[in-house]
Amino acid sequence: MEVISMIVNDEFGVMQRIMGEFTRKRINVETIVVGKCEVPGKARIVLTVLDKEMADIAVERLGRLHDVEDVEIVDESRQSAYALISTSKGWIGLVGSRNEVAEIIERARPEHYINTVNAL
Amino acid sequence: MDVLRSENVELMFGIPGAATLPLYDELLDSGIRHILVRHEQGAAHMADGYARIKRSPGICIATSGAGATNLVTGVATAYLDSSPVIAITGQVPTNVMGSDGFQEADIFSLMMPITKHNFRVTDPSTLATDLRSAFRISMSGRFGPVHIDIPKDVLTRENGVQPPPTSVDATRPGPRSDEALVAAKMLMAAERPLIMLGGGAKWSRAGTEALAIAEKLAAPIVTTLMGKGAVPETHPLVLGLVGMHGRAAANYALDNCDVLLAVGARFSDRTVGEAGSCNMKVIHVDIDRTELGKNICPTLGIVADAKAALSAINDLIDLKIHSSMWSKSSGDMMGRCDCDIDVCEDPISPRKVIFELNRILPQDAIIVTEVGQCQMWAAHFLEIRDQRTFVTSGGLGTMGFGLPAAIGAKFAAPDRKVIDIAGDGSFMMVCQELATASKENIPVAVVLMNNTRLGMIKQHQRIFYGNRLTAQDLSGVDMVKLAEAFGAEGIRVDDYRDLVPALETALESEGPVLVDIQINREEDIFPLTLRTAAGSTVYRGSCPYNGGC
Ligand SMILES: Cc1ncc(C[n+]2csc(CCOP(=O)(O)OP(=O)(O)O)c2C)c(N)n1
Repeated sequence: MEVISMIVNDEFGVMQRIMGEFTRKRINVETIVVGKCEVPGKARIVLTVLDKEMADIAVERLGRLHDVEDVEIVDESRQSAYALISTSKGWIGLVGSRNEVAEIIERARPEHYINTVNAL
Repeated sequence: MDVLRSENVELMFGIPGAATLPLYDELLDSGIRHILVRHEQGAAHMADGYARIKRSPGICIATSGAGATNLVTGVATAYLDSSPVIAITGQVPTNVMGSDGFQEADIFSLMMPITKHNFRVTDPSTLATDLRSAFRISMSGRFGPVHIDIPKDVLTRENGVQPPPTSVDATRPGPRSDEALVAAKMLMAAERPLIMLGGGAKWSRAGTEALAIAEKLAAPIVTTLMGKGAVPETHPLVLGLVGMHGRAAANYALDNCDVLLAVGARFSDRTVGEAGSCNMKVIHVDIDRTELGKNICPTLGIVADAKAALSAINDLIDLKIHSSMWSKSSGDMMGRCDCDIDVCEDPISPRKVIFELNRILPQDAIIVTEVGQCQMWAAHFLEIRDQRTFVTSGGLGTMGFGLPAAIGAKFAAPDRKVIDIAGDGSFMMVCQELATASKENIPVAVVLMNNTRLGMIKQHQRIFYGNRLTAQDLSGVDMVKLAEAFGAEGIRVDDYRDLVPALETALESEGPVLVDIQINREEDIFPLTLRTAAGSTVYRGSCPYNGGC
């Protein structure tokens, strides 16, 4: 799993433009997180794809977009997985390494959950 | 308007509508000329043809909804051929947007994948800046179209915000010196070097630099469809068009070279067939880094402007070979390829038409083509030498590109003769633009290779579908009357002996002329080369030599 992080213009249409690059190259995006970040007027997007080769292609293509200020592949040490699970005891938010979070979900067998990856 | 004027826009092509009327009202006093076309697709192709000759942005404008969607084919054509077209569309007012208002289409989304970038201006105070950015983006790095969608209320509220100053970034990135050195060493060590020039080399005007390297190394040069004319085709080292409908000599050289310097070429399937067929060492120069490794994996990839890269590589090549077996053998092939196309018989052979054009076209003529067999006869047989320019829709293969692009080209270069080598199918997709040409007094000559068919479709059905012909018959149209109805001159030619006088009349005319040449309906374009990893299959025509046409 490869994690791509980018800083983009925080405007309407930007997500569509970015996802278009994945559509055209037939790359499935496994997880995606978007949020405000330290740069005014910009947002940070962190997304994951399965394949290293696809990640490299995506990074090059994203680098051409005028809405993308900066794009890179981030290594394991800067990643953090998180999940929201619903169990009989209610909702629980999990944070940890990708493996840790995956293991907890496996054990807890939640009724519903979402598991994604963040990075800085 | 201030932005457009300061970007030296002299004219734009379009059709007005309710959403763009505020802009048209301003246009009246702007000193910028507006060419009223008959279909917005024509406007986009005209802007494209203009841009390809001027090497600066061509502007087209359409109203919201259907006007805007009519631009799409033209903008996609420009995108695939890296042409700096700026498409301006009107949009319904911001308070109506998203409500399926009258003439509302989400053109912002539609244009996204076929432009380098697009803007939807929702704040009048950013209009000037966005327009300015559009010009900069279209001409930076790899050229390409930019779209700006302007809601009507933004146009009317635009309050004369001072545009930012022009910021043309004319610097073209050169190669890293270590990369240029490796490239030079690879080329000097090559036994059978070959240079392949694509559209990028043409946009960057890198012909002189390519020839300098070719001459030092005695390396032949081949060109892709988009690269045709990047170097004069009369130069002894230039083998001409490579690819599916390319010259046998050029394809021979591509098959047999050991080091290929590919410049501004994207290794499309129509050029190299299966990517696996490229197992020579490849130095791939392109200004767009996403091209490197996209279709083939180069031995050395260089992200740089073609002209800058070739010039740097050339400076590092200190070897001088005056001739080599390699250039001699491909040169010999070339000699055999220059077969006699002076076919004196009726019905008229399309090769004869090209033969005569080669002779009588001025040395600075602009030759635009439609798409199909007509395009391939021109690409294969027409000699782009001296200052001649070849303009074609290579990437998208858009039927109907030729006539409007020729009109746009004529606006860009009023002193040069402009012809459109057309097929009847393509021509009829945009024939109404003859009316534009008549009205504006634009002397373009449509050289119609009339086979009353979708010729290329017929050829494919013949060769690949066991001659089961369908959906290719277009007969029953009187092209001369059609031309006359649009205010153009129409000349029908049935006998090859009448060709030259008709073409000369067309070239001399002060207005648009259509030369309706009734060509041999059965003739196909050969050779047709299919390259696969296992080797090439060549469908040959009448050539007496192995490998010729
Ligand atoms: C807009 C568009 N529609 C369909 C095609 C598919 N197509 C490619 S060549 C061709 C036939 C072109 O016929 P014509 O313009 O008469 O030229 P000819 O091949 O007869 O010289 C067609 C239909 C295309 N390239 N563009």
